[in-house]
Amino acid sequence: MSLNYEEMSWSDVRDQFRKWREETGRHSEEVVQLWVAVLEDKVHKTGNERHLILEQVIIAALDTAQFDIATKCTKQLSLEFPGSLRVMKFKAMRYEALEQYDEADDVLDAIIAKDETNAAPRKRKIAILKARGRRVEAIKELNDYLKKFMSDQEAWHELCSMYLAEGEYGKAAFCMEEVLLHNPHSHLIHQRLAEIRYTMGGVENVEAARTYYSQALKLNPHNLRALYGLYLSCNFLANSKTVSSKRKESHKLAQWALEQVSSHTAKQSSIKNNEKLILSLEAALGNMEIKSN
Amino acid sequence: MCDYKISERAYTKLIFHAAKYPHQAVNGLLLAEKTSKGSLVEIVDAIPLFHQCLHVTPMAEIALMQIDAYAEQEDLVIAGYYAAPENFYDNQIDKAPAVKIADKIQENFKNACLALVDNKLVTLEHDRAAIQVYSCAGDSARWAKAKFTLSQSAQTLEGVSLLLKRGAMRDVIDFDNHLDNPENDWTNEFLNQSLNDLQKLY
Repeated sequence: MSLNYEEMSWSDVRDQFRKWREETGRHSEEVVQLWVAVLEDKVHKTGNERHLILEQVIIAALDTAQFDIATKCTKQLSLEFPGSLRVMKFKAMRYEALEQYDEADDVLDAIIAKDETNAAPRKRKIAILKARGRRVEAIKELNDYLKKFMSDQEAWHELCSMYLAEGEYGKAAFCMEEVLLHNPHSHLIHQRLAEIRYTMGGVENVEAARTYYSQALKLNPHNLRALYGLYLSCNFLANSKTVSSKRKESHKLAQWALEQVSSHTAKQSSIKNNEKLILSLEAALGNMEIKSN
Repeated sequence: MCDYKISERAYTKLIFHAAKYPHQAVNGLLLAEKTSKGSLVEIVDAIPLFHQCLHVTPMAEIALMQIDAYAEQEDLVIAGYYAAPENFYDNQIDKAPAVKIADKIQENFKNACLALVDNKLVTLEHDRAAIQVYSCAGDSARWAKAKFTLSQSAQTLEGVSLLLKRGAMRDVIDFDNHLDNPENDWTNEFLNQSLNDLQKLY
């Protein structure tokens, strides 16, 4: 995606920023460029949204190591809200971006001492551990955090990713199940849970994967990962040692999934012979069927 | 023990992939000509795989099978794996994500290599290759540092730096992008074409 900075008015930029905030996308480079090019001089026009925009720019600027911009914006906010803990957090984040982790930790501890119910600084402390490469400690801290803030989905999600990186698939699946409880209608979470279960392997897990993939497809029939995943897990089950009626059913479902993949991609893909590439799956996995008959 | 030569195209694509997702770990495959010349493996292309979640296998299985078929069709072979760790300072193999894929490739292609992106060296003023290449010597089944050369080294590094400054890394497409929307072409036909055009200018 490319944006033409010259032709964007301040209200276009505001809408674009709003969209990125809502999607929680990380467009740090674009945010900083648009801020400098368009919005910086017009920010007073945005009313109360100004504060949110300033926060967005601070984080983007720290992410792209443009400390002067971050400092300028933080100053504006702290003039308006002297002594605000929320603004103090950005000071800690500045230390973090400069890799002065001990100083950042001190500021964060001070915030927590003033307000024990504040979740944000606790999460930043865990982020610092992660940045320092101490993943095992970060996992432990995040577990403690989740004992206090049980309904924090973002935190469960992060814990899941860290367990995956450590190869603890069972625990990762547990975390994803927690996230699923909060979003029972998200096809992406069903899909991720299926992926974890499939990776764990074994008939029982792959059967669970098949169920999660099926639910993901029910919620979004165009989810390509779920279609491929359903194909893989059905193929696995069609070649497993279960009763032949179940194997046949799996086989049929696998065929269906692959046909869906083909028809979805064929219409849109510009890759030469993509059809053939998809059929190569059949050639690689399909030949195992002989023994299942 | 063999040496590796990495083409401009492969190097550019793998650096672009790492630069497109600076806050995430990425991985991908390296393709080489089928006919190897003695102990030199020429890596001619790179196929970017994932950036979202590198630790689950289903989509990796799908991607590997499709890319294997693609390589066959282009008269190439999957000859290596590359990865860029999430943490800026991680540049050792034991910290690299999903190295199991590299082990698997090595089972099928004896002289396979593993290229690890060194995040610290990926800069806008690229003066040396930001990767470290490892190979599996003999049957010890351990990855050890290997010698490699970058084709047209000086020009390639200069070109990559220039393109990074212009934000060209956003044009590279990985298998995750393809799964999000099948319109996205993981073979990067378009990017390959523009890189070829650019090379002619030099």
